[in-house]
Amino acid sequence: MKKPIELTVNDELMQVEVEPQTTLLELIRDGLHLTGTKEGCGMGDCGTCIVLVDGKPVNSCLMLAADARGRSVTTIEGLAKGAELHPLQQSFIDQGAVQCGFCSPAMILSAKALLDEDPHPTEETIKRALSGVLCRCGSYKKIIAAVQAASPKES
Amino acid sequence: METWIGRSVPRLDGREKVTGQAVYTVDVELPNMLHAAVLRSTRPHARIVDLDVSGAQSVPGVKAVVTGRDFPYTHGGMIKDQPFIAFDRVRYVGEVVAAVAAETEAIAQEAAARIRVRYEDLAAVFDPKEALAADAPILHEGMADYPHSPLYENIPGTNVCTIRTFTKGDVQTGFAEADAVYDDEFYIHAVAHTPMETHAAVAQHSPADGGYTVWSSSDGPHRRSKELAEALGLPVNKVRVLSTYSGGGFGGKGTLVAEATVVALAAFTGGRPVKMIFSREEELSAAQTRHAAYLRIKTGVKKDGTLVARSADLIWDKGAYASKGPDVTYRGAMTIFGPYRIPNLEVRSRLVYTNKQIAGAYRGYGVTQVTWACEAQMDMIAQRLGIDPVALRLKNCYVENDTFINGQVMKAVGLTETLQRAAREIGWGTPKAAASGPLRRGRGIATTLKGTATPTESQCVIIAAMDGSVTLLTSAVEVGAGQHTALAQIAAETIGVDPTTINVPNSDTFNTPYQFGTTSSRVTFHDGNAVRRAGERIRKRILEIAGEILQTDPGRLSMVNGRISEEGVGERAGIKEVFSQKFPRGGMIVEHGSYCPAGSELLKADPGMPQGLSSAFWMFATHAAEVEVDVETGIVKVLKVAAAHDVGRVVNPQLCEQQIEGSVVMGISNTLMEEFKLDRGRVLNNTLADYKLATMMDLPEIVAIMVEAGHPEGPYGAKGAGEPAVAPTAPAIAGAIFDAIGVRITDLPITPEKIRAALKKAPC
Ligand code: FES
Ligand code: FES
Repeated sequence: MKKPIELTVNDELMQVEVEPQTTLLELIRDGLHLTGTKEGCGMGDCGTCIVLVDGKPVNSCLMLAADARGRSVTTIEGLAKGAELHPLQQSFIDQGAVQCGFCSPAMILSAKALLDEDPHPTEETIKRALSGVLCRCGSYKKIIAAVQAASPKES
Repeated sequence: METWIGRSVPRLDGREKVTGQAVYTVDVELPNMLHAAVLRSTRPHARIVDLDVSGAQSVPGVKAVVTGRDFPYTHGGMIKDQPFIAFDRVRYVGEVVAAVAAETEAIAQEAAARIRVRYEDLAAVFDPKEALAADAPILHEGMADYPHSPLYENIPGTNVCTIRTFTKGDVQTGFAEADAVYDDEFYIHAVAHTPMETHAAVAQHSPADGGYTVWSSSDGPHRRSKELAEALGLPVNKVRVLSTYSGGGFGGKGTLVAEATVVALAAFTGGRPVKMIFSREEELSAAQTRHAAYLRIKTGVKKDGTLVARSADLIWDKGAYASKGPDVTYRGAMTIFGPYRIPNLEVRSRLVYTNKQIAGAYRGYGVTQVTWACEAQMDMIAQRLGIDPVALRLKNCYVENDTFINGQVMKAVGLTETLQRAAREIGWGTPKAAASGPLRRGRGIATTLKGTATPTESQCVIIAAMDGSVTLLTSAVEVGAGQHTALAQIAAETIGVDPTTINVPNSDTFNTPYQFGTTSSRVTFHDGNAVRRAGERIRKRILEIAGEILQTDPGRLSMVNGRISEEGVGERAGIKEVFSQKFPRGGMIVEHGSYCPAGSELLKADPGMPQGLSSAFWMFATHAAEVEVDVETGIVKVLKVAAAHDVGRVVNPQLCEQQIEGSVVMGISNTLMEEFKLDRGRVLNNTLADYKLATMMDLPEIVAIMVEAGHPEGPYGAKGAGEPAVAPTAPAIAGAIFDAIGVRITDLPITPEKIRAALKKAPC
């Protein structure tokens, strides 16, 4: 039985109908056609489905869409402002942190949540914050560099 | 001095990928699209005695249920041994027994679960050595009748899918002349490619003309088109393969996998497209793996370390169907002699069917496996003779103009420099940190050589449109290694425009010309050469047009970054202005380029030796590792890897670093973490919670070193990178473990249990 819920996705307030068992990932990809969010396992093991819910990284394959009621979801599509990329997106390009790119949305969103909380993380902190996202292309070194480069400059 | 070669131009696909706009196969959505699910065999080897699909057909929303009887075709690029859907017989747990297309994936899955199968079990065999026994159950009795290339000789009545041998000189004489002969056996395990994007495909059939359109992230769209066409008896101009971005392949997306199932289904849906996405469990248990192998090598050596003879007996675990195995293991077998001058050689390589998941191409294409054995034994020889492992390698390794085993004269051999620089970077010969508590430090080194698929063809088309903007049409797939960016740089350099303005769309076999595949680290060299040739023609025509418009001799004109200058005059115009005058009512110039090294002097072999062993270029790589071993737990931590790669001229340093760094991570993961747990061929650890991959926490310090031995026939001297990159990591780690604790592991993976067990036998 579908139920209507209200939630904010990428700053847009919307009403959608979801089945009780629909995951947030299914809502995002199949319902809203925001295919920048990826599924790598559907079981909480790979992190490629990470989105931000109220600013915190969440494995969207493990969260029910209905539980996103009244909350604010940010997907990779919500990061750039028009043509202007988010500093992390630019930094991922500049530092060569992207190969096949399948993990990039989840890496960038996880990094955003980290930098929002801790603008100057140590390498160890970055590793811990991002280690839930697997990258088979092995871009880890350059991803760390990209997060460091995107960290706001001390004034 | 070049403008764009050697520069870290940001990848052309970067923006699409960081914004979530990049379309992968899993993202393809078409009007009226159906979704697939399959029923997979639960038996390793059985006859299908009864298959009842009526339960599935009656589920509302189901549009087609297809079995092997409905679609009785077989495929296989090298040996046609694999049914699209099993008919009457299954040969591994996970083989597709029936497929369903329905309005949603959930409906398709529910329907597939309602299919009833009755099996009659057959004796099964899981180890390739056991499968060689005279009384072993046979997987393919009809082997002799399978269409296959004469290159891949099989032995009907056995499980030997392919046997290959090679001899040079006389190993018996060589062994007799040697001061010592060492005979060692090594084992390398199967691993999963584990791309983050699982296998997926979409297919649509045209009932009107009988053709198919397939969307796929396969690394060789034209070869997939050819394989499908051959299997189905269609001309290739009726089988269109469209490439999307690929969420990682590493060799695993180089044959028909999900493509075979959706094509079979699409034949029965009245023109509605069908999409299939492998679940992670399917990816880990029913996609493809690296070939496991038993590698026995016997090496004769002089007291001073000079290698004089080597014989090898290799047994490769094929799994149930050939896939690319015949070629993978052939290329691997011919590299078992390593990058060393050895006068007397002999190898027998047997690829053996077993009732397991299919093994296929995996980064390194057989070379990863043989490098494990060759380099581990080099270390053991060094230790037995009391010679430094680096010195032993330097003494025997190929240098410029040495000949490969078939007599091909090797050009652009930067191997020595890779050894020296990797050794220096890891601090070879300098004191190590002292043991602290249970922790012991050690260093190891290993080297490899890798050829490329030869001779193979690459073609491209370059268009300069009416506004002067440039499009490169290539079927090289952007698998993540930056192929499109590197080719755009070569085009930009040749034509005289900015590479970031070049458009390189994803390929479409109806609209982008043939190229053999994005495999074997061959794109930069082969497609790069094709692009350079087409680019030279385009440049010439642009300057002719400019000469006509500017009323001057084109020979006096040059172009850099789209600006045209005249000798002695300075800048005259931009390409855009010139083209808008030339084509006031629209138009474009189109040029074609192709490259294939067939017939090149560079490939010449000794008389009577197989020229097929020659490679258009050779890549060399050395990895040196420093590890820390905990003698109480047996846990190995890799602290640093210095990875030196001779890639020829570097086109884009950042992209090269990505390949090298990424392969080190993959190599560590393969060596220390990954292992299939099997029960009679069934994969027990089919989730990423149980099949562990390296995470960011496992990242060591990685120093990527690029050695540039420019190749005389490479575009701007470039060779390739990426494929050899994973091979030397495992033996370098094993060598470092030996250096740390005196324990030699000869069978992969290296687990804490194996280290503890070995320490118990020989405590350090
Ligand atoms: S898809 Fe959600 S964690 Fe893998
Ligand atoms: S870039 Fe390919 S998985 Fe991370």
